[in-house]
Amino acid sequence: MITLTHFLVVSACLFSIGLYAVMARRNAIIVLVGIELIINAAMLNLVAFGRYDAERYGGQAFALFAIVLAAAGVAVALAIILNVYKHYKTINPEDINQLKD
Amino acid sequence: MTPLTPTYTLLAALATVLLPLIGFLLSALAGKKAKSGAIGISTIALTVVTAAYTFAQVWDSEPIHVQWQWFTIGEQTFHVGVLLDNISVFMLLLVAVVALPVHIYSVAYMKGDLGIHRYWTYLGLFCAAMLGLVIADNLLLMYICWELVGFASYLLIGFWFTKDAAAQANKRAFIINRIGDIGFLIGFAILYSGFGTLDISTLVGPVVQNDLPPGWLTAAGLAFFLGAMAKSAQFPLHVWLPAAMEGPTSVSSLIHAATMVAAGVYLLARIFPVFDDTVLLVIASTGTVTALVAAYFALTQFDIKKILAFSTVSQLGFMMVGIGIGMYPIALFHLATHAFFKCLLFLCAGAVIHEMKHLADKHRLGIDPQDIRNMGGLGRHMPITFVTMGIASLALVGFPLTSGYLSKDALLVHAFEWAAWQQGAAHIIPYVLSFVSILTSFYIFRLLTKVFLGSAAVEPLANGQTKLHDPSTWMAGPMLFLAVCSLFPLFSFHPLNDGHVWLLQGIGVSKPWTSLPLLHLAIPIGSAFATLVVAAMTWRWYVKGTYALKTEGPLYRLSFHQGYLDGLYDRVVVGAVLWVSRALRWLDAHVVDGLVHGFAALGRSLAAVVAWIDRRIVDGLVRFVGKLAWGLGNVIRRTQTGRLQGYFGSLFLLILAILLYHIIVQA
Amino acid sequence: MQALVFYAFAAIAIGSAVILVSMQNLARALFLFFIVLFSVAGLYVFALADFVAIAQILIYVGGVLVLMLFAFMLSNKTLLDQLQTGTAHFFALPVWQALLISCGFLTILVYASVHLGSHQPTWITTAETAGSTIAPADSTIQHIGIQLMTRYLLPFEVISVLLMMALIGAAHLTRKEDRT
Repeated sequence: MITLTHFLVVSACLFSIGLYAVMARRNAIIVLVGIELIINAAMLNLVAFGRYDAERYGGQAFALFAIVLAAAGVAVALAIILNVYKHYKTINPEDINQLKD
Repeated sequence: MTPLTPTYTLLAALATVLLPLIGFLLSALAGKKAKSGAIGISTIALTVVTAAYTFAQVWDSEPIHVQWQWFTIGEQTFHVGVLLDNISVFMLLLVAVVALPVHIYSVAYMKGDLGIHRYWTYLGLFCAAMLGLVIADNLLLMYICWELVGFASYLLIGFWFTKDAAAQANKRAFIINRIGDIGFLIGFAILYSGFGTLDISTLVGPVVQNDLPPGWLTAAGLAFFLGAMAKSAQFPLHVWLPAAMEGPTSVSSLIHAATMVAAGVYLLARIFPVFDDTVLLVIASTGTVTALVAAYFALTQFDIKKILAFSTVSQLGFMMVGIGIGMYPIALFHLATHAFFKCLLFLCAGAVIHEMKHLADKHRLGIDPQDIRNMGGLGRHMPITFVTMGIASLALVGFPLTSGYLSKDALLVHAFEWAAWQQGAAHIIPYVLSFVSILTSFYIFRLLTKVFLGSAAVEPLANGQTKLHDPSTWMAGPMLFLAVCSLFPLFSFHPLNDGHVWLLQGIGVSKPWTSLPLLHLAIPIGSAFATLVVAAMTWRWYVKGTYALKTEGPLYRLSFHQGYLDGLYDRVVVGAVLWVSRALRWLDAHVVDGLVHGFAALGRSLAAVVAWIDRRIVDGLVRFVGKLAWGLGNVIRRTQTGRLQGYFGSLFLLILAILLYHIIVQA
Repeated sequence: MQALVFYAFAAIAIGSAVILVSMQNLARALFLFFIVLFSVAGLYVFALADFVAIAQILIYVGGVLVLMLFAFMLSNKTLLDQLQTGTAHFFALPVWQALLISCGFLTILVYASVHLGSHQPTWITTAETAGSTIAPADSTIQHIGIQLMTRYLLPFEVISVLLMMALIGAAHLTRKEDRT
């Protein structure tokens, strides 16, 4: 029997893995992938809870919106990565360290 | 004390002192422009006038004594005042009358000297001080003038101060005078503590209250005599007078023959009643010794001025004997006659030196113009000088018809009478004095013959190439005036007897002994005879050239080197002072400075400790705080990496922490 | 039977994700992401959100992933080299702080999920008792369509505008600069 908890655990795992990718990977595109994983984990969560909301279908609607947002985010992020590469000649986030005083 | 209404006499006396002082101030202010000496001569001429007036008013009249209050210390009041009695007005006139010819003579003698403006200034100061000394009415004022006179003498001896010998001589004179001044000071200090007053007329007056314990009066008397010894060049403090010949000859004639050196005799005459028998005996003995020793030294000297200097010392010894035997008026009489003839002797010597210097400069001879060995036969070239010097020499030896005869023979006669009255060893004194008279004749005739008679010693004179001349009227005039004063008429109408001397009649003192009329005849005849014998002897020795005694013996050397006294003083006195000064310097450098350095070192080490504390502890504290801040900053700085993922990490860590907190705390 | 499939999908998703984040080769990583997305879509089906699953495959896989692959492949050679070269191997050593934080989050989330199982929120229990949960026979498309047009109209419009803005922005960012 697949209960709510199963979904939540899976989503938690995906979230953690996405978090790890964001924090630890040296490649900007993998960071982007990590962000996508996180968004996917959130979507899974939304859909899992949305099963108990038949009146408004809120979970599933917002999952759709999340997909759109993810797409927009990917587009812009890729554009930024390309520009950053043009400027710094690298996409290693370690080397792009001007975000400080 | 007469009331304070100023009389003309008092004003004249004050003017006598103040005129030379004004002359001194004006010359000092005029500075280099006071070349002609007009200020000096005019003030001295006026001084002679006022002194004569004062003398005429006071001589044989009521004495005038005027006092003003000067300052008060506690309950003691000190005065300044003027005492005009026979003795003081006589000395006043004497000093003024001797000073005037010397001033006139100086015009020609010091002509062309670069420092002549200083000369007139110092002479004015000296005359003012000497005249002040003479009419001072209390010992404090007299002491002040005494010091001033010594100071003026110092300035004038060292007139040509660029010459080392002159600088040494004036130092010697001043230091020896200071030794005497200590004596004067102690003397009047004792008198003040004992009598409560310094007023001369009170001290020598008939009734005087005496608080002194027994020996102190003698001590005071001896102290005063010490002062007179230094000022009047008694043995052994006479050594400054021959050295003082470094000054100009006119200065020597005024100061070191006639007036300043007489100040000691004057002081003793002034406070004569203070002295008791012991002191008088000491005075007489010292005077005798001085007279003998100085005449002995004068025998072998070659410098014309040194012969005359020793002669002065010897005659001062005579004067001291006069005081010692109780006959101070005779001492004053001899002082007066000596003033005239000794001043004249020096002025003539100055004329001779002047001419010899011209000769040496003209022919570029390297000779000493004061050495009598370089002179000879000058009588042909300078007759006036020869005659005046001859008169003065005769006065010195006491030849009849001169004033010197009157005073010296009076002294000798009274000395013999005193010895006869005293009995015993006192006889030494008059016999020694007689011997000294013979020595006096010898040295002065030696001088005359070597300088004026015989043949010339230097080339240009000997072969008739050059002629010397008598001095100009500026110099000859004063010399002639003084020559006239050296003859008997100035002092007495009777040329051969001292009974009619007006001075002795004015200043009289009673003799405790009876007069011996035989002596009054024997002494003059004896001394005149001796003089003639000695004159003939010197003629034979020096003019003919047949010298009888050997010149290399120890007696000769002792005389020539002036008793080796200079070397003795140098080694003993000067050496001792230098040794003490060196010891004190060591003390100062090592002990005193050592103490100071010790404190400094202490301060330095304290400072080092404090510096260490400051550097390590205080600064360490400050630096520690700084390092702490830096360290903290350094650590916190690392959070600003600029790396995105680092920021993410921190962010999620924080969120994790908050969630954990909620879970753990809430649960 | 259902549980097995579910576990299989879950395992594939998680496994691919794990491999994905430890891989150095970017192209392989993107393809693994591809697999993750497919697995997650399968999981959506189990949550009775079939439309979302299909929408995921269509948009996410077909759009986003392809976009990423195209961007990656059409980049210039130097960029590819940069992306290809890595300093570590397959199963490289991870940064331990990130690992720690991730595990921490995992723990908390799992704990929260398990906790939820025993303490269900009230609205879920009321929904269960009221029976207003989504049944497998429901037509989700119809319901989502109705809700999008009525209840969620504003977010719908806003999100379309947002998408347009993002695309315009991306296009502007990547324009070719004139070299003068």
